[in-house]
Amino acid sequence: MSDTPLAKTRARPVYRNIGLGDLARYRMPIPAIASIVHRATGIALFVCLLFLLAMLQMSLKSEAGFEAFRSVIWVNPIAKIVLLGLLFALIFHLVAGVRHLIQDSTRWLDLAAGRSTAFAAFGISVALTALIAWRLV
Amino acid sequence: MAATSKFVSEWWMQRISAVIVAAYVALVIVLLMVYGTPNALQWQGLFANVGFKLATILAIIATAYHGLVGTLHVWPDYVKNRAVLSVLIAYTWVAAGAVVLWAVYILFGLK
Repeated sequence: MSDTPLAKTRARPVYRNIGLGDLARYRMPIPAIASIVHRATGIALFVCLLFLLAMLQMSLKSEAGFEAFRSVIWVNPIAKIVLLGLLFALIFHLVAGVRHLIQDSTRWLDLAAGRSTAFAAFGISVALTALIAWRLV
Repeated sequence: MAATSKFVSEWWMQRISAVIVAAYVALVIVLLMVYGTPNALQWQGLFANVGFKLATILAIIATAYHGLVGTLHVWPDYVKNRAVLSVLIAYTWVAAGAVVLWAVYILFGLK
């Protein structure tokens, strides 16, 4: 009976508000990051579909159109970075999607598998994007 | 009950459309990996092939559907303003429809 309720209350740390300093220390677990990136890449790909179709039309219209696509879009460094970003978005959305399909079959649902497969989804996507970029340069 | 079966069929359709798109993307990646960067003749020759045209339009229809259902599910989680949400939903339907119609024009109507 030595510790009164009052003493216990005093010993507790008190958090009144979350400051920016606290916010920086919070980290999302890797499966949550994979989930949010899967959503973000899905939105980005959907929004860019019309631009991709415009490029497809340009590349198919004529030989001159194809060369214009190559010289204007494929050689321009900024356009190339955007296209490589979209390629990564496509590959990651696909790889993470396959992971979700496997999880639909009730596999890889425990914490350890959730973490390792989320890491793997990022690693495989970066490697595949780099491989395709290297082959297409 | 009707609502439940709608969600179940949507759940299946989202996965079936995903597999169709994944198969097409895998095919294109393998072609690019094997043959490297195509020139105009090779690229336009590939898209002149009727089998590839059909595979492409099937993949684009599946993509438009998958993107439609996916984005319609995601918007309300982040956009709470009713007016903005309505605009996004309208945009999503118009964009999905436009993608399919434009793809049909590019693949079967061009020239």
